[in-house]
Amino acid sequence: MKILAVCGFGVGSSLILKMTIVKALKELNLDAEVVNTDITDAKSYQADAIFTSPQFVSDLQGNVKVPLYPIQRYSDKEEIKTQIKALFQSKS
Amino acid sequence: MIEPIQRKHMQVVDRVKDYKEAITQAASPLVKDDYIRETYIAQMIESLETHGPYIVLADDFALPHARPSSAVKKTGLSLLVVAEGVDVLGHNVHVFMVLAAKDSTTHVTLLGKLAEFLMEKENIQALKECSTIEALDTTLQERWPHP
Repeated sequence: MKILAVCGFGVGSSLILKMTIVKALKELNLDAEVVNTDITDAKSYQADAIFTSPQFVSDLQGNVKVPLYPIQRYSDKEEIKTQIKALFQSKS
Repeated sequence: MIEPIQRKHMQVVDRVKDYKEAITQAASPLVKDDYIRETYIAQMIESLETHGPYIVLADDFALPHARPSSAVKKTGLSLLVVAEGVDVLGHNVHVFMVLAAKDSTTHVTLLGKLAEFLMEKENIQALKECSTIEALDTTLQERWPHP
């Protein structure tokens, strides 16, 4: 399983998002690779899921086949856990 | 580095006119200290307006930043607490932490610590309640994750 964490530049916010996803996965006892990148690269990246802001979800819709999971607050572990659970449920 | 943010890069104000003023004021110590050129401030505001408010990483907390570029001379952070809070595209924010990243690697360890710090909501609450620089400094020292 590969999760892509996406923001505008791929250097600040998406890094925070990636680290929060990693922590949330650990607490849920789930395993996945997490990579962060910017919105441009996200369009061509091979992944199983993209976690990003609602605005970027709208931008990416129609441009990518990868399932999109909106995240309002990039450092909110509980919000991210809910989306991780939804992702793993859809794959099982 | 024990302290993530130097005391001279911290500010507390009662109110600001809007988020533009908040970001400009929050970044001003980094301009003064030659970490960033003034153009970086415009870049941060433009990014927020183009890409949306995802820099509001948690309730009450924003991390204004832009792409690493020649507008950044030195990697660093500055901190502004707005006692009354201010609207950032639909989100109420009290704590602004400006990130100046010179490249895409030197700040990775720093942001790892920040991610850990932000996952505990009471840490943001504690910063928000600080009314002096001294309180901000002490709060950060106490709560910032140590290796």
